[in-house]
Amino acid sequence: MFKSLWILFFLLISLISIQSCSKGPLGGDHAANMAKLDKLYGPCNNPHRKIIGRDARMLCEDKERAAGPSGKTTNPISITSFAQNFNNGGVGSNYQGLAINPFLWQASLGILDQYPLKIVDSQGGFISTEWIMENNSPNQRCNIKVTINSQELVSNGVKVKLICQKKTDDTWYNESTSYTSEENDLTLKILETAIQIKVENELS
Amino acid sequence: MKKLTLALSAIAAAFSASAHADITVSGSANVAYLSTAASSDAEKLAVGSIASFALSTTTDTGLGISASLALSADYDTDTAAGVDGGKAVTFSTGGTSIVVGDVGVNDTIGSIGGVVNGPLDDQSGVSSNVATGFGAAADDDGLGVSFSTAMGAATLSIDYIANTAANNFGVLNPDSGESAMGASISVPMGAYTVTVGVADNDNGSSAAGGTVAAALGSGTLTVGYSNQTIDNGDSTLLSTTGDTTSAGATYSMSMDGATTIAVGYNSNKDADSDAASKMELSIERSLGGGASVYLDMVNLSGDAATDGTALGFGTAVSF
Repeated sequence: MFKSLWILFFLLISLISIQSCSKGPLGGDHAANMAKLDKLYGPCNNPHRKIIGRDARMLCEDKERAAGPSGKTTNPISITSFAQNFNNGGVGSNYQGLAINPFLWQASLGILDQYPLKIVDSQGGFISTEWIMENNSPNQRCNIKVTINSQELVSNGVKVKLICQKKTDDTWYNESTSYTSEENDLTLKILETAIQIKVENELS
Repeated sequence: MKKLTLALSAIAAAFSASAHADITVSGSANVAYLSTAASSDAEKLAVGSIASFALSTTTDTGLGISASLALSADYDTDTAAGVDGGKAVTFSTGGTSIVVGDVGVNDTIGSIGGVVNGPLDDQSGVSSNVATGFGAAADDDGLGVSFSTAMGAATLSIDYIANTAANNFGVLNPDSGESAMGASISVPMGAYTVTVGVADNDNGSSAAGGTVAAALGSGTLTVGYSNQTIDNGDSTLLSTTGDTTSAGATYSMSMDGATTIAVGYNSNKDADSDAASKMELSIERSLGGGASVYLDMVNLSGDAATDGTALGFGTAVSF
């Protein structure tokens, strides 16, 4: 009876937890907490990280040791990405003459096509809009610069910068205001669109 | 301008998570020279490598599901390469992680002092007479569920093993088998992080203990204490059922951007009044590119089948 109750308890907690996307049922960020404990104890000795099996422990310890104090180690090779690139005839690499990821590039162009574009450099992975002005704010203008710096579809493969100016006495001056939130939102939108294009490309 | 930035935010507001499956490969290798504490044939060469396959996907709702298995040639046995892992599946969100399958409970929680890992940890040759954990005959892992979640800044883990004799397929709560459970919580308290935990095996063994870790100087100091109640029927080292107590400490610090030095000490005593002390030292230097060289030392003194000092040096590589 006691054991059955334990199983029921686990199933219940599991159900609750699975329904919670970013926070645990009791609050807090588990991934962030684990990262702190990894740093304190080391990933292989973190009391809450379940490393079961001799090989898993060997791998963890070797990697931790090889990484040194920086904790940086070699990145795993993605077989999935490799297979997808192969099936796409090399899309995702510079096979087609692009030195940057074509999905990120297409997504960036698609999102910025509502504005006049001043610079479109497919080899350098750089897009810049003309100055964008609103009718009700004639004394302010912005432009958007997008830089793609990766051949892989990765989250840090695209950077967005908003530069805004305000006109005073017929002279345009750069604003000191930071638009970090808008830049991040636009970056996320480009990434989302790039993933959608990639999925559609694979299904077609 | 506000309108423009609002428009940009509105575009991005349509963002939603997308499913993403992946299979990745990584690996490691280790080569070591060992001068063990064995009375004969003390010098050994240990070579091993692992290729690990990690399988993962993320559902549209953000639930991560992962598993892994590995091909390996162990560095502490002279046997053919084999396959390990693949007996557990992990479900994770930002708030919780649940492992189903081969899970474990920590039956020596709070017993610390080990800073040497790899070939010398497995093949130092030293052998203490002090009984620890649930005893040699009792399992601390098996078929079950492990649950870990955040409670604010604290982390709570609860593990339940329904059958210690199975790993990924077996009877739940067998009539003649063993089950085990454990729970632990880590709580940051200012400059300190306190971890306490308990474990219990229904054969009569149990454990309780805790550690306190804190940044000290340019390193991390951890002290711990553990009490383990061991049934003598589960340990050939015990003639009577009773408690093993363990106290230890470790200190690890980065000497520069590439060198780490760690020292550890542990002293324990069991119900037979066998007592032993172990000191460990590990110095590692990263070579960059995922490789490092290391020098390890283990010293055991007290009641032991084999005591003495063992040394090892070698290289660990991550691929």
